[in-house]
This record gives sequence, structure tokens and C-alpha cells, in this order.
Amino acid sequence: MKFEVRNLSYSFGDKKVLRNISFEAADGEFLGLIGPNGSGKTTLLRCMTNYLETPEDRILINGKPLQSLMPMELARTFAVVPQSSSTDFVFSAYDIVMMGRIPHMASRIAGHRKSDVEIVRAAMEKTDTLRFASRPFFALSGGERQRVIIARAIAQQPQGLLLDEPTVYLDINGQFEIMDLIKKLNREEGISVVAVLHDVNMAARYCDRIALLSQGHLEAIGEPKEVLTPEIIRSVYGVDVVVRKDPFTNAIYVMPHSTVTVAHTHGTRVHLLCGGGTGGPVMKALLDEGFSVSSGVLNVLDSDYQNAEDLHIATVAEAPFAPIGDSAHTENLKLINSSSAVIISPFPVGPGNLKNLEAAKSAVKTGKKVFVLPPEAGKGIDFVGGKADATVKELIRSGAIQVDSIEDLLVRLSRGGGG
Amino acid sequence: MLRVGPLSASTTESMGTEYQRIVRRRILILSVLPIVLFVTVIVGTFIGTTGPIGPGIRTATGEIQRISFEDAVDAILHGHGNWPFDYHAIFWTQRIPRVLLAVLVGASLACAGTAMQAVFRNPMADPFIVGVSSGASVGAVAATLSGLAAFAVVGTFLTPLLAFCTALLTVFVVYRLGTVKGKVYVDTLLLSGVAMAAFLGAIVSSLIYFARQEFHRVIFWLLGSLSMQSWTADAILALTVGVGVLVIFLYSRDLNALLLGEETAHNLGTDPEALKTIMLIVAAVMTSAAVAFTGVIGFIGLIIPHMMRIVVGADHRVLVPASTLAGAIFLVWADAIARTVISPNTLPVGIVTAMCGGPFFLYLLRRSRVEGEK
Repeated sequence: MKFEVRNLSYSFGDKKVLRNISFEAADGEFLGLIGPNGSGKTTLLRCMTNYLETPEDRILINGKPLQSLMPMELARTFAVVPQSSSTDFVFSAYDIVMMGRIPHMASRIAGHRKSDVEIVRAAMEKTDTLRFASRPFFALSGGERQRVIIARAIAQQPQGLLLDEPTVYLDINGQFEIMDLIKKLNREEGISVVAVLHDVNMAARYCDRIALLSQGHLEAIGEPKEVLTPEIIRSVYGVDVVVRKDPFTNAIYVMPHSTVTVAHTHGTRVHLLCGGGTGGPVMKALLDEGFSVSSGVLNVLDSDYQNAEDLHIATVAEAPFAPIGDSAHTENLKLINSSSAVIISPFPVGPGNLKNLEAAKSAVKTGKKVFVLPPEAGKGIDFVGGKADATVKELIRSGAIQVDSIEDLLVRLSRGGGG
Repeated sequence: MLRVGPLSASTTESMGTEYQRIVRRRILILSVLPIVLFVTVIVGTFIGTTGPIGPGIRTATGEIQRISFEDAVDAILHGHGNWPFDYHAIFWTQRIPRVLLAVLVGASLACAGTAMQAVFRNPMADPFIVGVSSGASVGAVAATLSGLAAFAVVGTFLTPLLAFCTALLTVFVVYRLGTVKGKVYVDTLLLSGVAMAAFLGAIVSSLIYFARQEFHRVIFWLLGSLSMQSWTADAILALTVGVGVLVIFLYSRDLNALLLGEETAHNLGTDPEALKTIMLIVAAVMTSAAVAFTGVIGFIGLIIPHMMRIVVGADHRVLVPASTLAGAIFLVWADAIARTVISPNTLPVGIVTAMCGGPFFLYLLRRSRVEGEK
């Protein structure tokens, strides 16, 4: 099933909800519609289901105007799954699924043919709902109900599925269950999917392409990695995010880290000696307080290197897995010299990065404020046979300040460069 | 992860047999109900002060006289005999048209109630929800109090005609209030109906207040009674019931879809807007006609669909005929009771329907709740 939306606008009274939207959803595609609340995604879907009236030539389905199809024909072409369904009337799950056969009924009062019963049974098997077929619909859990509704959609034998935030009321296992099921229908049965999704990461994980709506217009459309960039998300949702790759699925995922971008940096730069991911929270806390931050020396594959990059922090980098070389060390010392304070996160110290502690030692010697953050309880940092622990002790003896926590660090920093 | 693997054979089979059991039960109930109705009509005809079943008549000499079954059948079939009363006339001008009126009115109210509960997606809706009863009351009370009702020919049909017209007019006004740009908003409709009923109720009350001498007659109409039986009424109602039930039955699958919400109904290929309008018109005409001849007989339109839904399920292809038949059966029995409990006087049948229907309904409601918890 192929959808074409051409220059579609829609208003509720004076309120313009959709503005000049154009896109296509190809046959067999899994297209996600995302956007902040009130961006018009549900309205767009309701236009596509013909529930809201639109001008004749704006929405085409398989090349034909939506309105040229009879309602029953439309219901045989695609099925719709709403956010949730409920009824005060007692229907069994089976009854609900059987309603999917309405568009295929020969006449108003036709009974169910054998083939209808078979189709319903198959749909319920596919969604694992057969075992509660005779239970009343209202007595089922949210996830079970949504599976029954999807079974009904399957029983309609549609070419396409239109879904409106199908997982919004489900808990996390229910969400994946439903999305996996939809993906399976998409991949194995070739059913085209257009889904309004609330969760950006769900969209990134399951969709072939994503259309991002903002204030009623189409902001971007394309593969997840093209649409879900920190820049686009920031401009549409107003949050700063980090976009990473899910290590297990290779899908990208989006991690919000701040709803306010730092409005005013006071220009004071501190230098952070870190590694192994221990620096991330410190970087974030310092940036939020308005400090500018530099870090080093970090190996290119180190998770703190990734953190620094995501937060746009200047970093002295060393090649992956290589020990800190002279030029990197010199660069690090330069940054330390020009900074107002040095902070040591409790990074694991091995033979390769011991030089970072040496750099701290020279900083203390020149009279720089050096702050040492404690390691997590039960976690040692020394992988060089005591040398690292000894160096830290020596640092503190010669004037470095041991702080209790990041909060403590911030308090001390704000007291005019510590002290 | 989702288990989409093959189900065990026993699960699949038990589901199949359970469903077959439900279908068999529905078919059984649908075939038993017409038989029960037939028997009810026969028995109902013989019940009453002058019937073989009932309290009997006290003659001038003080003895209780009761006609035998053979004589009753003889009177119905062969006319006048040597009885102290004209049983032939009693049966043919009173008892039989009255029982048929009960059948037709019961069927109207129950069937219209079923449709209204679906349209409002509310099991507490009834056929009077859009103002039929209050509208009809104004017309009927006005006709009664105008004094015109006292005149023979005009009187017989003035009250029903006026009641019918004011009922339909009220529904039309409520419908207009609940409709914006061709879309029927059922919640607005419901509230308009409630407000309209309150307003018209006040008019009825003031009419009664200013014409206290007619109080008894007016109240008798307001409580609902089948004592205005006539073959003409039966003929008119046969037409509205026949057409109304047929139309509602033909829209069964649309009503089913509507119970899941208007958007879902749309997405299943039905037209909820057209459906709501058609159902409102059909139900309004059916109930207005019934109410015009009998006054407001409450509770049938609410409890019969509800009861039948508990018994046969919510599928309208079964529910509509089942409710229609059950409504007819129920009202014949209720009227039989109304005619006999304070014989030789008659209770307004509306009192009986509420008195029998209420507790029975509560029993069913309670039972289904308790079973649902199991």
C-alpha cells in the first residue's frame, strides 16, 4: 500500500494544525511519524484514515484519491490501531477480532462464513490471543487488549496498518512486544506500516524512515540517522541530546541530557583529567554550572572521549590503545597551565595513562588548584601495582584538595576558585 | 518476547468448543423466545377479571363467577352464547387488542432501547433519553386538559396524535441541539435531552397544578397504561414496529462496530454519522408512537436490552431480535398483573414494570458482576 500526501493543510476552526505537508509512504515501508505533543501527528493520521475530511486531491492511496474509495473498500485496504480501546459492553476477545471481518461481509446481516472463522483464528494465533478468546475484552490487560486490536487489524486482511501511538499506555515489556509484532507483520507479510510514535527511540529502532513534525509542518523525513540528529532534535524538541548507536541492535538511540542549554558561561575554564567513563558526570555538572571544560589525555575509543565529543569539550586525544605520548602530554600540560583549576576524576590508571597523574603533580607544583574526586566505593583505580595510589596520596600531601563528591566540588569551585 | 509459536491443540480446541457452545446457546434462545411469546399471548388473553385465569367477577348475588377455558375459547371463536357477560365482545374489543398492544409497545420500547444504548455507547441509556417521554407528556396533558379529549371521536385520537407530534418535535429540537455541522455529538445530545426533559417536565407540572380536577386522569397517562387499546392503535403500531425493528436489525453490524467508539466504527468501514441519525429517527418514531397510545411505560427500554445482553451477549444480530421478543413478552405479563392484582380495578402498567423490573434487573446485574469476578 502506497500513501501520497500532497501539500496537505488542516485546521480546526481558526487553528491551523497541519501546514503544507507532503510526503510519501512506500509500499512495504515502516514509516514513523514523530514530533512533540501538539505537532499534529495524530491529526495527520486521522486525515490519512479519512476520519477527518480533507480536500479531494491531497491524499492518494495506491495512486487513487482517498475519497474515491468506498468506506468498506478503505477498511479492506488498511486497518487502524488506536492508542487504546475500551467499551462498557461485554464483548469477548473473539467478538472483537471478528469485527475485523465487517468490511468483508457480503451483506448487512450475513453470518460468519467458515473462512471468516479461519481467518480470525489465524489472526489470534499470530498475536497469541487465542488462549483468552472467550474472555471479556474489558477484563484483559492493556497489552492483551492491544494485541486483540492488532488481531482485529490482521483479520481485516489489509495491505497496510496505520497506528496511533499503539504503545503509549503499555509498560516497557508490552511496548516491545507490540512493536516486535508490528515489525514482524511488516517484514514477513509485507504489510506497510505508518505509525505515530511517541518515543523517539522506538521510532529509531523500528522504522525504516521517520517523518518529524513540528508545529504542523514537516520538519524532516528520512532514515532515523538523518532525522534524529542532535541539531534537529534540539530545534524541534528544545532539548540537548546525545545520539549514540545501540551496541546490540546498531539502531541509533537518543539520550537527552539537558532541557536548558547553558545560557551564560562565565568563561572560567577548568581542566579535567579523566578516563573510562568516570569523567562524563563531572563534565556535565561543570557545564551546567557555566564552566568551560577541557579534558585530556584520552584515548580515542575511551568512553570519556565519546562523552567529551558529545558535549563539545576540547580534548587532548591519543591514538586508540596507545600509551600517552610526549606530544599529547605536552599538550595536556599546556591546557592545564591555561586553566583556572584541575580536576581529577577517579579514572582507572594503567601504565598507559599514568602520565595524567604526573601532569597533575606538576600542576600542584606550579600552585594550581587541584581537586581529587573519590572513587566509587569498592572500586580501585590502581592497575599499576600501587603506583597510582601512591601518586594520589602524594598529590594530596603536597596541596591537592580531596573533595567528597561532585556537589562538594562545585561548592568549592564557586567559592572563588576553591580554597 | 512474544510467543507466536503454535498453540497447544487443547487450547485451540477448547476455544473452539467454547465458542460453539455460545453460538448454540444464542440459537437456542432465539428459537425459544418466539414460542414463549406465542404462549404468553394465549395465556395473557385468558388472564383477567373476566378470563378463565384470574380473580373472577362478583355477581349481583355475591358469588364469584369465572368462565371456563372451553367457554372462553367458544366465546372467542363462535361469538355470543348464553353467558351473563358478552364474553365475545370483551375478548375481541378489549382483551385481544390489549394483549397485542402490550406485545407491540413492549417490542417498540425494548428494540428502541437497544439501539439507543448502542448509539450512546451507554448501557444506562433508554429510548426516552432524547426527550420522547417528556415531549409526549406535554402533548398528552395539554390534550387532556383542553377538554377536547372528552369528545368521542376527536378525543380518542386527539391525545395520541398530539402526544406523538410533541414527542417528535422534542426529539427534533434535541437532535438539532446535539448536531454541529452535520456531526452528531452524543454527549451534547444526552445533556440536551436531560435539560429538555427537565424543562418540559416543569411545563407538565404546572399544567397539572393549574388543573387539579383532572389530576387523576393525567397521572394515569403519565404512569403508563394499556387501557387505551384499540385495533387502530394495534395496526398503527404494527407498522412502526415492523419497519423500526427491521431497520435496526439491518444495522446490527454497524451498531456492533459503534460500541467500540465512533473512530473505530469509521475505520471498520461503517458510517457512524449516518448510523446515529438513522437510529435516532427510527427509535424516536417507534417510541413516540408507542408512548402516544399508552403513556410513559418506563424501565422496559432500559432493562430488557440489558437483560438480554447478559443472556445472549452484545452482538446486535442476536441482541436486537432477542430484546424485541423479550420486551413484548415482558409487557404482556406486566399488564396481566396490572389487570388482576387489584381487580376489578387496574393498576397503571408502568408501576408494575418498574416494580418487577427493578429488583429483577438488580439481581441480574449482581449475578453477572459476581460471575465476572470468578
